[in-house]
Amino acid sequence: MLKYDILLQALVSGILMGAVYSLVSIGLTIIYGVVRIVNFAHGEFLMIGMYATYFLWAYFGIDPLVAMIINGPLLYVIGILIYKSLFRRVVLASDFTKIFLTVGLSLVLQNLALLLFTANYWSVRTFYEKMVINLWGISISYPRFIAFCGAVILSLLISLFLLKTDLGKAMRAVAQNWEVAMLMGINPDRIFMVAVGLGSAVAGVTGTIIMPYFYVFPMVGAAFVVMCFAVVISAGLGSIKGALFCGPIFGIAESLGILFVGADSGLIVAFLILLVVLIFRPSGLMGKGKL
Amino acid sequence: MRNLLFNWRDPKIYLPLILLIFLLILPIFLPTYFLHIMVTIFVFAFLSAAWNIIGGYAGQLSLGNAAFFGLGAYGAVLFTHYFNIPPWIGGVIIGGAAALFLSLLMGWACFRLRGPYFAISSLAIGEVMRLLFLHQRKITFGAEGVTVPFKGDSLLYFQFSSKVPYYYIALVMLLLGIYICWKMERSRLGYYLIAINQNQDAAEAVGINSVRTKQVALSLSALLTAMGGVFYAQYIFFIDPDFVFSLGLSIEFALMAIVGGVGSVFGPVIGAFLLRPAMEITNALLGATYMGVHLIVYGGLLITVVLLKPEGLIGWLARRYETLLKLLPGLKEKE
Repeated sequence: MLKYDILLQALVSGILMGAVYSLVSIGLTIIYGVVRIVNFAHGEFLMIGMYATYFLWAYFGIDPLVAMIINGPLLYVIGILIYKSLFRRVVLASDFTKIFLTVGLSLVLQNLALLLFTANYWSVRTFYEKMVINLWGISISYPRFIAFCGAVILSLLISLFLLKTDLGKAMRAVAQNWEVAMLMGINPDRIFMVAVGLGSAVAGVTGTIIMPYFYVFPMVGAAFVVMCFAVVISAGLGSIKGALFCGPIFGIAESLGILFVGADSGLIVAFLILLVVLIFRPSGLMGKGKL
Repeated sequence: MRNLLFNWRDPKIYLPLILLIFLLILPIFLPTYFLHIMVTIFVFAFLSAAWNIIGGYAGQLSLGNAAFFGLGAYGAVLFTHYFNIPPWIGGVIIGGAAALFLSLLMGWACFRLRGPYFAISSLAIGEVMRLLFLHQRKITFGAEGVTVPFKGDSLLYFQFSSKVPYYYIALVMLLLGIYICWKMERSRLGYYLIAINQNQDAAEAVGINSVRTKQVALSLSALLTAMGGVFYAQYIFFIDPDFVFSLGLSIEFALMAIVGGVGSVFGPVIGAFLLRPAMEITNALLGATYMGVHLIVYGGLLITVVLLKPEGLIGWLARRYETLLKLLPGLKEKE
């Protein structure tokens, strides 16, 4: 018979991971919602964040939690550069151009990493990596707990930013209708740039906070982002609330899949859920997607 | 009126014929390595043409065609491995049916939605298939991959020790693929697809069932791609999930069609003839020392083409071909 504490443990670790999925998905959904580009290279932003964390730790001994302060702005700048050099040219282009542009970018970044850093798995050592919190018979590893807290705080900050600040309001206006927003005196080009930079920075910071319990390799982003695609689709593309809600669901689905079906089958279970969502609620759980 | 079909002196007729005869006698002269490159060109042109049906004509950008490819390949190999069933049944029929089933599932889940849902879902489904075959080790041998059990030269088991039979089979497959696309372009299905691709609302307003039309295109594409998978498995004699289900492979199918020209019969063929040899050369020169170089080239090429020439090379090449036809001697159809 299955012990309930194992089930509870799986639920908790699912939620911990799910918050991280939510955070990556928020970045993805901001870029789609505002610029209308599905960023297939989003996982590679995460990968860059992870490599940056690894090198900051390996060469300067900087702890990932401190590296966050460097990686956020770094990825913001990288995002802006990518917007200015590539995305800006295709903002008004067809889905075809947009999708294959980011797919191409993803291929280039992935294999550039393979070329520069080899296919080896790298990880960082921290003083808190072995520390565990025990709570009613459930043990939570410290790095996972920190990543969870970081993800929750960041998600809240982004939501607040979008709801309360002028720039956030301008972004939502552009997301709704950029032409009308332009008539109101908002420069959509600048908002697009900020959106891509923000999405990229969020991915980079996520890469930083998961580094203490993850390992980095060139395809890490690809493995990660497929799950986040499942999250954003079932949430409804462009819905931040949905991404916040669906991340934990998929995290739990993944960990229950691992528990009941077997290791590494988490993604498959998650996709069965996605399939069910798409069949019964095609525009996503919280989406306003056109049917 | 003169019957065009029998006007051998028209360059429009004799030029393709000369080309075909050239391709038919080519194996006599070609060394094995170049023969191998020709076979991969044919197969990839075929697979890219299959992608073009859903990605080009229907405008549904599939990033998961490798899923169908892998099902065909694994169907062929596993059934021979376990039950001695020839790949014609295991791969073509059972693998094909599996691909068809998967395409129905994908269409059912995705085609009611517009926008980039299909591209994302198809990418995800390819990835899920890869993981599924990677982790069901007891049946699929996981990451180790499976080798095709060798039964000697036999058409029944689709195995030959020489590359020449493969060359001809691949050539026939490609010609068949081109014929199917050519026929489709001029059929009701082709016109429906082009109409939906241009303006779905207008197409639906005149009574086209867009969901069903896209579904037919996806299933056709899936079936052909599975056949390509069967051929690949029987030709290379070894498959593993990380190759046959890889995203890189799905992108390769698309890339060739994009470079050649999406939504055209000969675009994928042109793409394959240009890219496949280039890839072989890059891999042969750099692949051993620098991993993933050919994928950087793919990605860079993809970015460059969609930014600078999204319609592909077909338009430019078609004009060159027209001029060539005018220059060639022969009896031409009068205007």
